[in-house]
Amino acid sequence: MLRPLRSITLLLAALSMAYAGTGSAHHSTGMFDQAKTIKLVGTVKQFQWTNPHSWIQLDVTNEAGAKEEWSIEGNSPNQLIRLGWRPGTLKPGDNITLLVKPMRDGAKGGMFVEITLADGTVLKQYDR
Amino acid sequence: MSVWAAEAAAKLPDWSGAWQLRGRGESRASATNGGPAKVGERNLPPYNPAWQKKFEANAELAKQDRFPDPLSFCGIPVGYPRVLNLPDSYEFVVRPERVWILTENGPNLMRIYTDGRDHPAADLMWPTYTGDSVGHWEGDALVFDTVSIKNDGDTIFDRNGVVFSDKIHVVTRLRITAPDTLTADVTVIDPGALTEPYKIVRQFRRIEASARVYDYACRENNRNPIDASGKTLTLGTDGRVIDLAK
Repeated sequence: MLRPLRSITLLLAALSMAYAGTGSAHHSTGMFDQAKTIKLVGTVKQFQWTNPHSWIQLDVTNEAGAKEEWSIEGNSPNQLIRLGWRPGTLKPGDNITLLVKPMRDGAKGGMFVEITLADGTVLKQYDR
Repeated sequence: MSVWAAEAAAKLPDWSGAWQLRGRGESRASATNGGPAKVGERNLPPYNPAWQKKFEANAELAKQDRFPDPLSFCGIPVGYPRVLNLPDSYEFVVRPERVWILTENGPNLMRIYTDGRDHPAADLMWPTYTGDSVGHWEGDALVFDTVSIKNDGDTIFDRNGVVFSDKIHVVTRLRITAPDTLTADVTVIDPGALTEPYKIVRQFRRIEASARVYDYACRENNRNPIDASGKTLTLGTDGRVIDLAK
């Protein structure tokens, strides 16, 4: 399969931002701590390109050296594709960095706001 | 197509393509009653005392993330006028005898009859989520009247607690007000809940012509079910709740 050039991907992302949607609206975002953004570095276990939310299952090694799995949700495919995301943007084994609004209760979950792929490509969850 | 139909179709405005709601209609609300609402925002409805109380109780639940929202249940339509308050894209299909509003965030569909018919007789109507809509064209503006909307606990206007009674009646005026800008002036008349008509403005911008509109099957992979208390849960891939707080 041909991989799009990174510059084209970025250009598409930039163009798409002009009309991207209004974000997670399937449910209240009250469970996420909007005042906090955490950075998660890990390996993709699974990418669910599904409605009403897409999900990134991320294996992260915590400070104690143990592996833990995070469930990070984001926008639906119709919104993400207009922001430059693709169903094949993430594959198991990809090393990525995520900026996440974490769950308030400390569970290993959250809502992604921005992703940096191994090649440096940055994709966002919102158009702002 | 008959000559009449072709002539009628030629006079209709071009609302083709896909459209996106401007602003963050779901979450942004001014805190005070009255005054003109900015596009994409809303003022608080002019509630009568009983419904003001009901709204305040809802708003308190919303603060606790426990206000029941049909949009989150992945099942029933959101109803009118909340249909004009959705996050994903819209299509407006215009024909001489009817206009359809298709929302990407389903399952929602509005049918507006513009062939001169009136609302059905009372014994032929029962409350439904989207109600019964009849309309007409005033130049390039579609003006339609919606009645028989299922309400009073069945549908909400937004998840910040705004609700209306089963006496709700909505008049909507839809027209292009600037290039690629479709404006909906919505007047909610609800003698059950409001002391005067409540006006809302919603605006949609046309997105690029090549954009596609996609499937939105909310139950495909809903990992955020709502528990009996109204709290939104988060599930792992194994279906187990990962929330730590009760």
